[in-house]
Amino acid sequence: MSSWLDYTINGLIVGNVYALVAVGLALIFGVSRLINFAQGSIYLVGAYIGWVAVVQLHTPLPLTIIVVAVAAAIVGLIIERFGLRPLQNSVRIAPLLATIGISFVLDQLVMLTFSPNPRALPSQLPDVRFQVGGGTIGPLDLLIAGVGLTSALLLFVFLRYSKLGWAVRATAQDRDAAMQMGVDVNRVNQAVFGIAAALGGVSGMLVGMYYNQIDTAMSLQATLKGVVAEVVGGAGNVPGAVIGSLLLGLVESYGVAVFGTSYRNLFAFLLLVVVLVLRPNGLFASARQAPPEPLTGTFIAPSRPVRIPRWALLAAAVIFAILPLFPVSFYVLQTLINAWLLGMLALSLTLVAGTIGQVSLGHAALLAIGAYTSALLSLTLNVPVGLAIIGGGLMSAALGTLLISPSFRLRGHYVSIATLAIGEIVSLVILNWESVTRGPIGISGIPPLSLFGTDLISPTSIYWFSLAVMVVLALLQGRLLTSHLGRSFRAIRDDDIAARAYGLSLNRYKSLAFIFGGFAAGVSGGIAAHLYSYINHETFNTQQSILALTVVILGGLGNVVGAMLGAVALVGLPEVFRIAAEYRILIYGIVLLLLVRFRPQGLLGTI
Amino acid sequence: MTASTPEPLLALSEVNTFYGQAQVHFDLSITVARGHIVCLLGGNASGKSTTMKIILGLVKPRSGDVTFDGASLIGLTTPQIVRHGIASVPEARRLFADMSVRENILMGAFVRNDRQAIAQDLDKMLTLFPKLGQRLSQRAGSLSGGEQQMVAMARALMSRPRMIVMDEPTMGLSPLYVDRVLELIRTINQEGVSVFMVEQNASLALEIAHEAYVLQTGKIVLSGSARTLKDDPRIRDAYLGGAEAA
Repeated sequence: MSSWLDYTINGLIVGNVYALVAVGLALIFGVSRLINFAQGSIYLVGAYIGWVAVVQLHTPLPLTIIVVAVAAAIVGLIIERFGLRPLQNSVRIAPLLATIGISFVLDQLVMLTFSPNPRALPSQLPDVRFQVGGGTIGPLDLLIAGVGLTSALLLFVFLRYSKLGWAVRATAQDRDAAMQMGVDVNRVNQAVFGIAAALGGVSGMLVGMYYNQIDTAMSLQATLKGVVAEVVGGAGNVPGAVIGSLLLGLVESYGVAVFGTSYRNLFAFLLLVVVLVLRPNGLFASARQAPPEPLTGTFIAPSRPVRIPRWALLAAAVIFAILPLFPVSFYVLQTLINAWLLGMLALSLTLVAGTIGQVSLGHAALLAIGAYTSALLSLTLNVPVGLAIIGGGLMSAALGTLLISPSFRLRGHYVSIATLAIGEIVSLVILNWESVTRGPIGISGIPPLSLFGTDLISPTSIYWFSLAVMVVLALLQGRLLTSHLGRSFRAIRDDDIAARAYGLSLNRYKSLAFIFGGFAAGVSGGIAAHLYSYINHETFNTQQSILALTVVILGGLGNVVGAMLGAVALVGLPEVFRIAAEYRILIYGIVLLLLVRFRPQGLLGTI
Repeated sequence: MTASTPEPLLALSEVNTFYGQAQVHFDLSITVARGHIVCLLGGNASGKSTTMKIILGLVKPRSGDVTFDGASLIGLTTPQIVRHGIASVPEARRLFADMSVRENILMGAFVRNDRQAIAQDLDKMLTLFPKLGQRLSQRAGSLSGGEQQMVAMARALMSRPRMIVMDEPTMGLSPLYVDRVLELIRTINQEGVSVFMVEQNASLALEIAHEAYVLQTGKIVLSGSARTLKDDPRIRDAYLGGAEAA
């Protein structure tokens, strides 16, 4: 059993690592009001460059650090120049989505180059530990602390005494005014992306050495931790990000000490949600500060939606309905069943993200709640599967809305962060609540789909069942959007202050949207559970949330037909072109990037 | 223009500006003579502030030309335009609120690299704006509106501009500071800096300006020397947005 001092040292060391990521996020947020979701990918790239340098090129440690910093900075500069600068004048959601797309692409490129298998990253430092008080400290701990402190010092000197540093600070406070002083904001953007990437890359390498292991799953975790630390410290606040990181490291370390390793991330995300709800501007923000997010109006690309005549929709429905009567392969039906399930999730997300403007990055959690509820109802309480699925939908609606409701007062990027955190929390609770969810083992032997006592086992019957459920949900949602309720949703999305001034209760309408959306997603998850017969806490992950978001943007935010079209396109096309599974995520990332750049309103337009 | 006016430093010729479908400027032509104070008057939504943004390159016109000292500014970025010698005092001052007063003033010299001369100019600003001396290390955001206006003007002067454009320099200031600001604008001008200012308060602006233009829904409806315009009865109707121009 380690001592408390050990946990404190560990917390501070891990906090130092987080700080290297979070400071970069804070710099970028300060200058361009953007949460860079690709930060973790640069951290990943840094770790693998470190591996190449240490294991293949046998570089000495100081040189390794320099190589990683420079290489990562170059990646950062490329991202800024080709991924984000073209989006400067587009809607505010565009760069956020672009960084998500970039992170998919980078992660997959690393995975394809180095394989997903973990690799060892030796630190080259002697494996000794010194006694300090009641705890111990090793050379690597000192290295990490040293790199953290040196970086903080260099950054301080840069921001305070260099001309470019002044430009960075001025741009962060007032971009237009800085331009009028002659500051080239593109150069400022380049500078912060370069610095952020160098710090992030070194951080990834240090973590790899600390655990003597690197793998491609590091990326998302790093982004999440960095975002938590940054938001805790106050978005855009550089010293705040350092303190937030150390705090996060300590909270996690003590949490692990008391409850065990699997609780580490749970504490991180709970801390985030608590800070978001109580002090959305961070722990150190002064009360004077205006809310950092302006109105949501320009967040989503406005457009004139493509009108699809009723007969065409009917014809499409009929064609898909009678498809199984023709000799189509099992494989085609299987693919389309996946598309219908994703379509239900997309319907849910397009309502929440598109119609009422709450861009959720944790939508897979609703799938998980529905899936677990339905599976457990049918397994332990012998509830008929049809009813159990409806139960799953209701539970998702209720629990999902309840979990998100404290975040209703947030806007823009902050909603995305909160939903991302809540998604992670749901997954972690499933992992840790063993008495109900069976923890890491997952639930197996889930009964197959059945309706009124008849099992639906043939692909044809599953196909019809899921298609019918999706169509019913789509019709309901279409009806909802044309009602006054739909108008109220859109009013809140376009200008929540004006909507409130007209007497709309934001909480009530946001709740209604999440209830409806939660039900659709829960039903989708429920059907999936019975279809897969085995689920665990990782079945419904963030990757799926992002996939759903890509589908929704592809179809056009808020667009019901677009959501279904997007699902068919994104699930179907890779199958049609027989693209190998490992390239699919890469394709999704590229699709997202191209969409944001060239058709932000999606195929059918936002509604 | 009569033969006695000096050659123009800044000229907007037949500028047409659009925000999406909506046209903001209709064949807008304005000249600022070297060494003069020129004032653009107009009510709300007349296109005054957009005119400033056009000069600074923050908004691009759809057609027309903007020249400064004979060279076209069209296609240049804002920082490039600043380097040509145009400084600005933006609407509502737009100081860097979390930076100190000293840092704010020095930010004005961002385009310069002559450290010693910058230090001298900072001293000069403190004689021109003596009140700022005690405030140098204070957060700019903590100053009063009038003091902030002083910082904004000092900041603009630090680039040693040939021209300063000001967006409503007297807006939201106490009467005492309004007089002070107008006096300072005159002083700055006497040192050789041309001034183009956008104002709502016509009577005040006309007191210090050489020439003035009246803008109404994107069109110049009146222009001439400040002395003649001051007595023109139409000026009140025009800048208050009375009768719609033809």
